[in-house]
Amino acid sequence: MDLRVIEKEDNALSIEIAGEDHTFMNVLKGALLETDGVAAATYDMNPEQSGGQTDPVLTIKTEDGTDALDALEAGTDRVIEKTDALTEAYESAA
Amino acid sequence: MSYKCSRCKRDVELDSYGGVRCPYCGHRVLLKERAPDVKEVDVE
Amino acid sequence: MADYDVTFIERDDTEARFLVRGVTPAFANGIRRAMIADVPTFSIDTVRFIENSSVMFDEQLALRLGLIPLTTPLGGEFDEDDTVTLALDVEGPETAYSGDLVSSDDMVQPAEEDVPIIDLKDGQRLELEADAVLGYGQDHAKHQGGVAVGYRHLQRVEVVGDRDEFRDDEPEIVRGVIETEGGELVPTEEFDNDLTERYPDSEVEVHDVENAFVFDVETDGSFDVDTLVQAGIDSIRGRAEELKEAVQL
Repeated sequence: MDLRVIEKEDNALSIEIAGEDHTFMNVLKGALLETDGVAAATYDMNPEQSGGQTDPVLTIKTEDGTDALDALEAGTDRVIEKTDALTEAYESAA
Repeated sequence: MSYKCSRCKRDVELDSYGGVRCPYCGHRVLLKERAPDVKEVDVE
Repeated sequence: MADYDVTFIERDDTEARFLVRGVTPAFANGIRRAMIADVPTFSIDTVRFIENSSVMFDEQLALRLGLIPLTTPLGGEFDEDDTVTLALDVEGPETAYSGDLVSSDDMVQPAEEDVPIIDLKDGQRLELEADAVLGYGQDHAKHQGGVAVGYRHLQRVEVVGDRDEFRDDEPEIVRGVIETEGGELVPTEEFDNDLTERYPDSEVEVHDVENAFVFDVETDGSFDVDTLVQAGIDSIRGRAEELKEAVQL
């Protein structure tokens, strides 16, 4: 997973995440939107039809007092928590 | 070049002088056999 | 934090239907996509034909061989692009089946024994060696472990009154799983997908239940459903961890 920071300010971050697709990006975006201090989060990716898939670019805007990079880390933590919770729920039902 | 006669099923070697004809039975229909090499194919 | 609740509606080795409550659409879709494209399976990738006097071209047979599901252990025994060799030698008159493939590794075997490969007539023979590699559904459908993976909203059916006596006798089709007012989960096949069969005298309203999804998962036999679901979830988790580490640096 190669990262390329396109833009970085205290309350905004634009970062290219190489090798990922909608499968992970949409989960991450969904988790970011549920994270405290995140004002906006989205990702952008060219569709396959327009000359091949480009790597997704994740854009985050945060509220004052939250660093955008910290918010991204909190977002990934949230995804990990979700997967662990789902694993647990699935196993207890199985 | 190795062929197989379609009538008498014998292996036939052709050279550039004899023309297309089975030397054993005179039949003119010869079949080219698949090469015995191992062929590698990629699954696509 | 996320509080999930999983309930199984149907459960088999290779096929299952279960309800997950409390899951966001984004997460549900991520798991679905991961199960289809990001869980690796073994599949034949190159074939060496020693003899093929059958009526089909080598390439056609190679394609058929590629589509035979092979059992795949996902416990870390194999890495991406690891190779397992399988051999086949069948002489006509006989049909060559997937079960005739002899594997070099006990853990990687044809998942089904009775997939026909080709019918061989008298005097025809097929002898080959095939290399199976561990690959991802993303790259080729033959590597898909989940063959029918999808989800639907759980639908809640509420009785809102009596059915009009002179109403047209039209069916009300729903598909998936419904939740009754009593909290019972009923697959719609039980009443022919037609609500008027289950509620003949009542007027009903159907609403999607928010954040409750009924997953239908079927595997090709490479592994069981639990393994596939777990591997799908782990795939997402692995990427989140990788990103977390990359961000921390």
